[in-house]
Amino acid sequence: MGQIISVHSYRGGTGKSNLTANLAVTIARTGKRVAIVDCDLQSPGVHVIFQLVDDKIRFSLNDFLWGRCAIEQAAYDVTSVSIGAVGPEDERPRIFLVPSSFKTKEIGRVIKEGYDVALLNDGFRRLIQKLNLDVLLIDTHPGVNEETLLSITISDQVILILRPDSQDFQGIYVTLELAHRLGVSKPWLVLNKIPPGMDRNGLKHKVESSYDRSVIGMLPLNHEIVRLGSSGIFVNRFPDHPFTLEIQHIVNILLGKETI
Amino acid sequence: METESDPYLDALLGKMKSAASPLRQVLLEIHSKVQANDAGKVADYIPELAKADPNHLGISIVSVEGRSVDVGDFDVPFTMQSVSKPFVFGLGLQDRGREEVLKRIGVQPVGEAFNSITLDEASNRPFNPMINAGAIAAVDLVEGKDLPERVSRMLTMFQRYCGHPLQVDNGVLASERATGHRNRAIAHLMRNFDMIGPRFEETLELYFLQCSILVTARDLAMMGATLANHGVNPSTGERAIDAKFVKDLLSVMYSCGMYDYAGEWGYRIGIPAKSGVGGGIVAVVPGKVGIGTYSPRLDSKGNSVRGIDICQELVNRFQLHLFDVESERPSILDQFSHR
Repeated sequence: MGQIISVHSYRGGTGKSNLTANLAVTIARTGKRVAIVDCDLQSPGVHVIFQLVDDKIRFSLNDFLWGRCAIEQAAYDVTSVSIGAVGPEDERPRIFLVPSSFKTKEIGRVIKEGYDVALLNDGFRRLIQKLNLDVLLIDTHPGVNEETLLSITISDQVILILRPDSQDFQGIYVTLELAHRLGVSKPWLVLNKIPPGMDRNGLKHKVESSYDRSVIGMLPLNHEIVRLGSSGIFVNRFPDHPFTLEIQHIVNILLGKETI
Repeated sequence: METESDPYLDALLGKMKSAASPLRQVLLEIHSKVQANDAGKVADYIPELAKADPNHLGISIVSVEGRSVDVGDFDVPFTMQSVSKPFVFGLGLQDRGREEVLKRIGVQPVGEAFNSITLDEASNRPFNPMINAGAIAAVDLVEGKDLPERVSRMLTMFQRYCGHPLQVDNGVLASERATGHRNRAIAHLMRNFDMIGPRFEETLELYFLQCSILVTARDLAMMGATLANHGVNPSTGERAIDAKFVKDLLSVMYSCGMYDYAGEWGYRIGIPAKSGVGGGIVAVVPGKVGIGTYSPRLDSKGNSVRGIDICQELVNRFQLHLFDVESERPSILDQFSHR
């Protein structure tokens, strides 16, 4: 049975979708079948990183939620764009993406009508089974909302991403308390956008002792990723960059190949 | 870590746990299995009921801890019809006491159709409160200085069970009123024997109204859970009926709740339940859960075909039959939590 990993942040702009995409590619490269579900129905974005364009998308997560298709019909194989050529018969590595619709009327409908959040769990379970996944990654809308809470509840591992910023520090308390109440014992923390010259060890120690949770990644503030502007997968473009090496370290921990 | 309890937060977190619960997977399986059975047809004795979508299928289960798991068309509204009968019987008990009620209504199952015009020859009482005659006698007992007050008291009673105010389907109500000749005849016959009082025209109006109240499968499950939880709504904490009367309702539901299928139901499924021709069934597992189902395809006896299938599946999987004393199956209460 595949495992579910979800990536959350309390505030926007923490680099959540980029982290998710880069984790997915790095995990897949270890020879896994991976899917990302973009649960950010209000402001979808991860499809851009995988260059999945409108005319390729027949069904989205929205169509599944409205009962117009089975969830696997909304999953697109993005292996060639993110990993490169693999044999057409090769089962591994593979990456699939289930996008949320970026049509204005669909976003409007989600906000106006809402949906039964329990359907998401039904969809995740079915996707793992139908696509024979090893890992399902969930990208969520920032802050606390129903899809965030649901994905925290059902995930095997939860990553909370934050910047060294007082607003993020305060917000993470809320998410940690909710995770605790939902029975998730140990969400991982990832610090992103650490400015050059900051005392990394001091920061790690401060965060770990404040929250009693392990920091499994310390990602540097990264001008190259800004320049890339979500037009590609960072770990592919910059294989030796410290950011890429740190992503590798996070993946090793997530897959149990390294201990903290 | 702060763990102060808050009703809104608890409800939100409970919803997430239910979405992730093993019980949801079981209900989805049952939903897709019973969906294949397209036997039975939608009630058409009044034109308004014939408009129901025969494909609708909803299942909801609410535990005595107030956790709910719902799948399919659990939030599609339909009229309560005969499902209302045990609850109005309960209001009669509450208003007049057991002794007074039993003078006017029996508790004896009867092998006749729900709308038969027969009374017990020895006592002139209707046989039980689950057939139309007994239900009309029961609603006649509902107190109030005039019709609006009686309507209001009845709706308030249902609100306590469901946890929110209820609406009436005016189309169905008008239809019931326009075609309710048989129920009028039953009322006149009982009036003749003094089994109902001089306000019987008002009482008939109340009866048509109780049949036309809109509920969902989730509402029925909550009503069932309230009975399972000794009369207290597990979600709001509000009492809907005195604990001492809960067994009165459950006994007549067990023996007479499924029209003239009741004996078979008691044997095969073995939990108190009440069905309605709107397509709903409410079932109660005392001390554990309430079950609400909605599927408007009815069998020849007036029970929801798929509703019966769902209850049978649940009873088999979790050994819910009241007389089943073996216990190797998992408890349904353990199925609400993910971790």
